[in-house]
Amino acid sequence: MSASRANRIQLILVMALLVVLHFYLRPRLWSARVSPDFLLMGLVFFAMRAGPGAGALAGFAVGIVNDALTPAAFGAGALAHTVVGYLAAWGRAVFFADNLLVNAAFVAVALWVRDVILLLASGTAQGRLLVELTLNSPLQAISTAVFALLVLAAFREWFAIRLDV
Amino acid sequence: MASASERSYTRRDTVMFLACLGLSLVALFSPSKWGQDIADALRGTVLAPLVWLQARAEEGRTSRARLQAITLQRDSAAFLAQGIPSLAVENDRLRRLLTLSRRISTPYVAAEVLHQPIPTDPRSLLLDVGRSDLVSEFDPVVAPEGLIGMVASAVDHSSTVMTWAHPEFRVSAYAVGGTASGVVAPSFSTLSGEGALEFRGVPYRDSVPAGTLVLSSGIGGVYPRGIPVGTVTGVVREQAGWERVYRLLPAASPAATAHVLVLVSPPGTSLDRAFPSDSAVRATERDSIAHVRRADSLEAAKARGAGSKDTTR
Repeated sequence: MSASRANRIQLILVMALLVVLHFYLRPRLWSARVSPDFLLMGLVFFAMRAGPGAGALAGFAVGIVNDALTPAAFGAGALAHTVVGYLAAWGRAVFFADNLLVNAAFVAVALWVRDVILLLASGTAQGRLLVELTLNSPLQAISTAVFALLVLAAFREWFAIRLDV
Repeated sequence: MASASERSYTRRDTVMFLACLGLSLVALFSPSKWGQDIADALRGTVLAPLVWLQARAEEGRTSRARLQAITLQRDSAAFLAQGIPSLAVENDRLRRLLTLSRRISTPYVAAEVLHQPIPTDPRSLLLDVGRSDLVSEFDPVVAPEGLIGMVASAVDHSSTVMTWAHPEFRVSAYAVGGTASGVVAPSFSTLSGEGALEFRGVPYRDSVPAGTLVLSSGIGGVYPRGIPVGTVTGVVREQAGWERVYRLLPAASPAATAHVLVLVSPPGTSLDRAFPSDSAVRATERDSIAHVRRADSLEAAKARGAGSKDTTR
């Protein structure tokens, strides 16, 4: 088996683990609005290692999953995650993306940007928008970044790849 | 200088991004029924194992608390079981004395709320029960504190709920102890945010004091009569000579609710007795007292009538 193919399989395994954590571990943690979003974490990890197109496509898929589970404004999740996936893939060219803390910070910023787009696209009232963006979203961004650090530390070798090279 | 392959790679990325963006916008601005159908299809097929996984996780999280509650209930039930026959007789006698009907036992399905970690979660909740549990569209969903919303769509093993925080939510309601009735809708004023409700269409002449409980009226056929919707906290706005709009503190919070009941009974059932509250009980007492007074006055009138007949005779 070639090294590239082995790396891809390792990345797929980590993504599968994140999906299981999202649906099985997350509900056992704190309130849903501040518990880590493992799907978004997986999206950012993937997008930073793949190209912007693949990142946007992955974001669209994650967004559709979110919309199917919470169809308050179907399409808003897809829009937000598509933009986040695309920007995360471009972001790794601008920043030093192999640093653990930078990766975690990327995840935190991506979650906050996702919430901004999602709330605006779903027509949220101004008062609620402020509460979400100044209280709940930052808390969730921190919790997601902390778990992202743990995942990256545990699978550091597996994440040292670039899918598009 | 970028090579031809790099340029085509960038162009391909841009095309993919624009395609995904376009599809997202189409989904966002398409009729909500289409989105609901796609969401149902996904939840019923590829996402079914993930929903099942989350439902097991929710059960696992709450199982310890449930076991403690069940143990306490069992102990209490064992203690109370000794006096049940005499209590039942006494209860019946007291109810007859107070002219109260029996407490309604409405068919319901208990459900876990599968919260999602996105900000729009409180508007639309995912439940771990579906058509296989006899849940269907338009079934009212309640928490112990009051109304949560109604089932918007249901597939085999899951369903989504349109909560009172959803912009399209409406329920006809009335204020306990008065004649004011109107329609309750989510509030989107800057001051209240999404965490409040509005009691609209109340006639200007009907003043509703702060602290008054507002219940569903049963008009419209979706929500049964008697479910607590909220408590009046003040006036939002008024149109002189026409109507007042009151701000309500919602009775139940969708974001904080872990368990709900889906009422599967046919519409038209009254739930007044299923949600005893201080103000509701006071209103019932007032009604009963008024009923007794009316009966007494009728008796007195009859007696006077009989007396006058006797006098005439």
